[in-house]
Amino acid sequence: MRITAFANRNIKELIRDPLSYVFCLGFPVVMLLLMSVINKSIPAQANMTVFRIDNLCAGITVFGLTFLMLFAALLSSKDRTSSFLTRLYASPMTAFDFIAGYYLPMLLLALIQCVITFGVSLIIAAVEGVSLSIGGILLAIVTLIPSMILFIGFGLLFGCKFSDKAAPGLCSAVISAAAILGGIWMDVDAIGGAIEKICCILPFYHSVTAARLAVAGNIGECGKDLLIVCAYMIVVAALSVIAFRQNMTKDK
Amino acid sequence: MNAIEIKELTKKYKDFTAVDKLDLTIGEGELFGLLGVNGAGKTTTIKMLSCLSKPTSGTAVLMGNSITEKPDEVKKIISISTQETAVAPNLTVRENLEFIAKIYSVPDPKAAADNVIADFSLGEKENARTKTLSGGWQRKVSIAMALITSPQILFLDEPTLGLDVLARRELWNVIRQLKSKMTIILTTHYLEEAEALCDRIAIMTSGKLRAIGTAEELKQLAGKESFEDAFIEIAENAGKEEIK
Ligand SMILES: Nc1ncnc2c1ncn2[C@@H]1O[C@H](COP(=O)(O)OP(=O)(O)OP(=O)(O)O)[C@@H](O)[C@H]1O
Ligand SMILES: [Mg+2]
Repeated sequence: MRITAFANRNIKELIRDPLSYVFCLGFPVVMLLLMSVINKSIPAQANMTVFRIDNLCAGITVFGLTFLMLFAALLSSKDRTSSFLTRLYASPMTAFDFIAGYYLPMLLLALIQCVITFGVSLIIAAVEGVSLSIGGILLAIVTLIPSMILFIGFGLLFGCKFSDKAAPGLCSAVISAAAILGGIWMDVDAIGGAIEKICCILPFYHSVTAARLAVAGNIGECGKDLLIVCAYMIVVAALSVIAFRQNMTKDK
Repeated sequence: MNAIEIKELTKKYKDFTAVDKLDLTIGEGELFGLLGVNGAGKTTTIKMLSCLSKPTSGTAVLMGNSITEKPDEVKKIISISTQETAVAPNLTVRENLEFIAKIYSVPDPKAAADNVIADFSLGEKENARTKTLSGGWQRKVSIAMALITSPQILFLDEPTLGLDVLARRELWNVIRQLKSKMTIILTTHYLEEAEALCDRIAIMTSGKLRAIGTAEELKQLAGKESFEDAFIEIAENAGKEEIK
């Protein structure tokens, strides 16, 4: 009851903010279309396939998830700095109620975002005559669930620890890191060297790779990538819970 | 039974003592006024009693539950209207009210919202997003959110701050109707409000309790005709003692 009530409130708070639509839904779709247009102008001899829709869709979906992190951070930091959360701290809400109430609606939004981004990708694939299997896409969405929790966790962690001015800045740092080092726009294996090493240490490249493998029908090969993402997910989610509990017992 | 028993309640921020060994007993159904100049420690006291801030030492027992040992039990029976307005900006007035009712497991949230909307004359704005309301209206919503839970103990930290004369009188009437149904702790800077509403009044300065009694008793104690003069006398005397 308390979790549903709080989750409901958070969903309303998110879907009543027009920016949610622009960033969480509009942005990934525009990116998909834009990159597909760019892809068309790349000559076939170049043999560059990162921008082809079957490669692109997984990367853009992960990119979209990074914006949910921004919204999780903004929502939780605004709640914290307004007296609204103070009032709830004095209520029978437990730490678990709060955390589930923040995570669940964000997770739902993340799923909707994935479905829409992959849905648009299917349409683009059909138009361009690239084969893209629905089964692979469904599996890709499943492989992205740990990444969703990871990004929401980053957002809540920043929102719990930093003001609503500082938290978005930190989020953009993670968004940039994910975009550059996640192998969304480039073929990391072909770059090699130190950059490849950094990409492999951070979780973002593995999120994208796991989803790409699933899209391509090679879900069996994504075990190692998923494992790394899950490890990051556990650490970040745990940190976000700890940060929230600290806030609850700190003087208001 | 006593609703609230405060024993040597103390709050220190580093070297600064915001509330200093407060001892106070408040009866069930009593409407108790907590007065004091800015920075006297009223809000800090209310925050400790409502489990928002941990006492440095001492404790308080609310309806038999200690704030330091059983905060979860305390939270179920209290409700607070904070000094600052506390509403969810993107929810409508009705949604805010029903949300709080659900959090406190009120049996029929919709009916409970109907009641407070009527009590506070919020009807014409019930479907407006709360952030679009004027400051005073948001304030009314914030107070209504504290009342909807029908708590056993209600904390009202400067409830009438920013309300116009009519809204203030309306709130007085609501508070009078609640009187004896629940225990209410009220802080205010409007002395006529304390005099009109409160059964007993305590005056705090620099974190210490200086005087306690009915408005009449405090006037006699200070030897003054008006309650305002009595308050000034008591607060200033305490200030002088402090310097000595
Ligand atoms: N988090 C904090 N850190 C340090 N000092 C604090 C903190 N909160 C309150 N204080 C100090 O404690 C004292 C009491 O503050 P409090 O808010 O309880 O006063 P008050 O009686 O409610 O005043 P007002 O009428 O202005 O609301 C003040 O001097 C204030 O500066
Ligand atoms: Mg105060």
